[in-house]
Amino acid sequence: MPEIDPAEHDVSELGPKVQSIEDPEELEALLSAERDGENRDAVITVIESRLDRIADDEGGGDGDIDLDAMSVAEIGNALQDVEDPERLRDLLDRETNGEDRDPVVRLVERRLNSVEGGDEGDTGGAVTDREPPEERHPELDHPTADKQYVTALDDGTYRDMWVYCETQAGDLLDVSRELLGKARELMDGYNEEYVDGNAGEDGGGEANERVVAMLVGDDVADHADECIALGADVVVVHEDDRLARFRHEPYAEVVADMARWGADPPARDEDRAPTPPSDADWRDYDEPRYLLFPATNNGRDLSAQVQAELDSGLASDCSGLSIEDAGISNPVKTGDPGSTRTFERVLHMKRPDFSGFEYSTILCLDNPDREFHPQGASVIPGSFEAPEPDPGREGLVVDHETDLDDDWFRVEVTEFDRLSGGVDLSGHDVVVAVGRGIGADPTGGMELALELADAFEDAAVGVSRGIVTGSYSFDAHVESYTAEERQIGETGQEVTPDVYVAAGISGAVQHKVGCDEADTIVAVNTDPDARIRDWCDYFVEGDLFEVLPRLTDAVEAGGLDAEAIADGGGGVTPGADPATDGGGANE
Amino acid sequence: MSSEPDVGFDSAAAVDGGEAFEAVVVGAGPGGAAAAAVLADNGVETLVLERGVEAGSKNVSGGLLYAEESAPFALDDLFPGVREAATERPVTRNYMDCLGDGNVHTIDLSGVHEHDTAWCDSVLRRRLDSWLAERVHERTAAAGAGLLTGVHVDGLLWEDGEIVGVTCDELDPIRADLVVAADGVNSELAREAGLMDWDEPEEWFQGVKATVDVPPAAVNERFGIDENEGVARLFAGDLFEGVRGGGFLYTNRDSLSIGTVFHLDSLAAERAEPHELLDALLTHPHLGRWLPDEYEEREYAAKLVPDSKKAAHPSPHRGRLLLVGDAAGQMQAQGPIIKGMNHAVSAGGLAAEAFLEARNRRDTDAAGERYERKLHGSGLFSKLKPRRYGAVGRLGEREAVADAVDDLVDSRLGRLGVRVAGGVVGRAFNSPFLLGALPDTRSAYATVPTVLAEELGAPVDAENGAEPPSLEERIGDLTYDTDVGNAHIELVDDGYDASGAAVTACPVSADGFGGGCYREETVRANGDEERVVSLDTQPCIECGTCAVVAETEWTHPRGGKGVDFHEG
Repeated sequence: MPEIDPAEHDVSELGPKVQSIEDPEELEALLSAERDGENRDAVITVIESRLDRIADDEGGGDGDIDLDAMSVAEIGNALQDVEDPERLRDLLDRETNGEDRDPVVRLVERRLNSVEGGDEGDTGGAVTDREPPEERHPELDHPTADKQYVTALDDGTYRDMWVYCETQAGDLLDVSRELLGKARELMDGYNEEYVDGNAGEDGGGEANERVVAMLVGDDVADHADECIALGADVVVVHEDDRLARFRHEPYAEVVADMARWGADPPARDEDRAPTPPSDADWRDYDEPRYLLFPATNNGRDLSAQVQAELDSGLASDCSGLSIEDAGISNPVKTGDPGSTRTFERVLHMKRPDFSGFEYSTILCLDNPDREFHPQGASVIPGSFEAPEPDPGREGLVVDHETDLDDDWFRVEVTEFDRLSGGVDLSGHDVVVAVGRGIGADPTGGMELALELADAFEDAAVGVSRGIVTGSYSFDAHVESYTAEERQIGETGQEVTPDVYVAAGISGAVQHKVGCDEADTIVAVNTDPDARIRDWCDYFVEGDLFEVLPRLTDAVEAGGLDAEAIADGGGGVTPGADPATDGGGANE
Repeated sequence: MSSEPDVGFDSAAAVDGGEAFEAVVVGAGPGGAAAAAVLADNGVETLVLERGVEAGSKNVSGGLLYAEESAPFALDDLFPGVREAATERPVTRNYMDCLGDGNVHTIDLSGVHEHDTAWCDSVLRRRLDSWLAERVHERTAAAGAGLLTGVHVDGLLWEDGEIVGVTCDELDPIRADLVVAADGVNSELAREAGLMDWDEPEEWFQGVKATVDVPPAAVNERFGIDENEGVARLFAGDLFEGVRGGGFLYTNRDSLSIGTVFHLDSLAAERAEPHELLDALLTHPHLGRWLPDEYEEREYAAKLVPDSKKAAHPSPHRGRLLLVGDAAGQMQAQGPIIKGMNHAVSAGGLAAEAFLEARNRRDTDAAGERYERKLHGSGLFSKLKPRRYGAVGRLGEREAVADAVDDLVDSRLGRLGVRVAGGVVGRAFNSPFLLGALPDTRSAYATVPTVLAEELGAPVDAENGAEPPSLEERIGDLTYDTDVGNAHIELVDDGYDASGAAVTACPVSADGFGGGCYREETVRANGDEERVVSLDTQPCIECGTCAVVAETEWTHPRGGKGVDFHEG
């Protein structure tokens, strides 16, 4: 007889009860009681599916873990469902007496350790048999498995905040300035909080920690003064004409070597002890404490490789930084389950998740058996204000020297193109814009607009969105003038010339916002009801194919110039009937 | 929760770097809100993704939300207080005005309006949906996830031919045991799963609406109601130049929702301009009875409406994907009564229940089958797709039959019959059973109402001075966040024959209007002339019309981009 009588419960009550029964015999008893009693389909379904579930779990002994037939990964997955230590020990015996694969033995041992919850073999919290991740997860194509060359320092010393100051085409990027300013602010706070203000460089105790700027490239040393003015205490410069353009490998090698200052890193694949950094009178530590990169295309590329090379982590695309202490109770970090350890001087790296709907704060903390330094971040451009430069600041400029291996330059840049910044239509006295009114002869209409623009001293040609998104086929010599980069309006450029000529443009509000601030707007349109008539200063009712040539003639003849039109003078004398908008300036 | 977080064989998400939730609900309209609420209340970790800047900013409806007594779920049970906080007015009267030859004949639709109706409120979607979304966020957050706005789910995540989650423009792929696609009439998920298409114009209606500003006191005075009452009026007859469809007017608290709904095939075939048909209603003398002296339009909006009789999917699921609401074609439009949101709420609740039951049995993959059984078992599907329509309706829509009916009604004999049987026709429009069988021909929309008005109606005595804004002004008054450089619709075939219908059928395009989405152009090259269509997606209001009538690759804009409806 089952412990519960199904007849006393309805289905919704029975569900949870049934789900908690582990014993198949009890379930069978329950099932037959229900069949003999109320015989409800729903109840029978619930019990049967629970029975199926248990049968799946149990799998009829160890038959479902066939060690010889399963891959390491399959065994790893299957082990997660095994709760019984005896069964695990049995598996362990079978494996050691059978194929005796190291990873399988380790997996079973780990699982055994985990299900027994540390009741046995008390390790006192300290992790004694540390395994590198690729050994712990042999079945995974683990990224760190490839990283066979370098490992983290053991008991290293870390100081200073380093900033990779990216340059492009010889110019210091704004984001580099922003990073220097933020680094200065952070390290000023750091020194106040953590460093005894009285301790001098050689007076015992801790010295203030510094902001170190890195400049890598060809002909970049000129920026050192600016870096200092923006907050750097030290600028490390590496110049080489082969570094004129960003390339992943040599840049990563150089920056990593700057951070280690010539030290030979500890190796993973052989028991090679690290050599200390080269002698330098300006630094006495192994690696930077913190390392910041700009989250630009090149900065992202570089930051990932450099932080991996230093065997640390990277918080990418951050938008907020602070340095604080952090109380951590994760046993992976404390080495002691149940305890809380305070990590000091931790760089808190805030980054937007879910595209900025939420923020995560990333901490890069040492494990008991592995150090994660430098604490590194790449920072989204624009996250911080660029500081006011202080030309009076003083700092040290250090040349970094290392031989660049030819092998690093295997990838050649054979060709590059600097995209033009688009066309800037602002800053002209006159802008001649055309719209879909040129439809009857699109190329001819553009030519007329270009001729009119030529007649003025300083005029540019723009187009409405209707031209950009239209299907007109233009001849090659005018086509470049019809591209999106010349579009005026809400989704294009806003222009503020003295005179704006809008030919064949109806004047939707989206266009209006692009030219509304022009001093004088002259519209040419065949439709007297076109919207533009409501907000232009002069409305010429007529076909632009007739009106524009006459305007061009008038300008060339000197009868019309931009200032005169803007002043309400000039001689608008097109043949078409000029209607005007309220102003009455109908001359 | 795993006690061993650093051993992660079972966590595929950790390997991929994506997020994983038990359930993902795509779209925070009433259907998605209902599904998410039921899931979250039962402890299911549910993430709701909404592409608008706020829930409701992408939603348009005519505006009547019914709660049916026979429905498995009602919105006010799932969201107590919704009627007080987020709807407009209880609609207490419902009429159909048949217009013809300057006459109007009014049929009282109380019978069908009140049939099986627990309540019926007019709604504006920005207000309704954003209020629901706040509740949904609270409840889903309590269950371990929440609601994110500005996220456009652009596809399904597949693994070995199975749906395992969704992909987004803004986020990493998200895995889930359940994906509820409540992403509306133009559901990209339903199409990727091969469950729905945009192929047949006759499966769709297009609705166009103006929200007209009227102070509350003026609403009460013009309609003779108090603040706890509301009126629905439908319009049919000779005011739409033979395009099959009708008009509506619903009272809101301080505005009127006035719109038109047409069969998309008819609209496209007649090359009719939706905004002109709307203006024909807005400026009809009969409307002068209710419109304020100064016509002020708050918003112009449009949406595609699936005709559930033809489009409702009998088995709206595939693997972990369950379709809810418009995404599954669950929009009941029979005769004068249009019910969509209530069915979406029911479907959302049923989908959630189906998942919960399947989950209790440790068999979440069975959720789809269970949902289908519930759709049919609850009677919902037979409302959407009545069997009797299959017998009579389809036949009745054949043009020859329609012509014969029209000729009969229009004949001297038929007119006499109408005069005698006027009351019978009124009863017919009030019979849910007959409405279910009613063929969608111009007989129902135009001929019968017109003859009714001509034979039985009284002269329209009102005057109407309303001057609705031009299409250009309407577009200019809408709020857009244009995704510059990322057009969300691509014209696959710009030939006029393939895509020219969009120039007129698109509610923000018009023949000869250069400021709309679709424009006709003539390209001259090498002495040849070709009629082509060009597309600018900037004015797009995301209704989906062009996906049906033109050759396009149609997607929604990225999260938060595109049009931002304030009324909806």
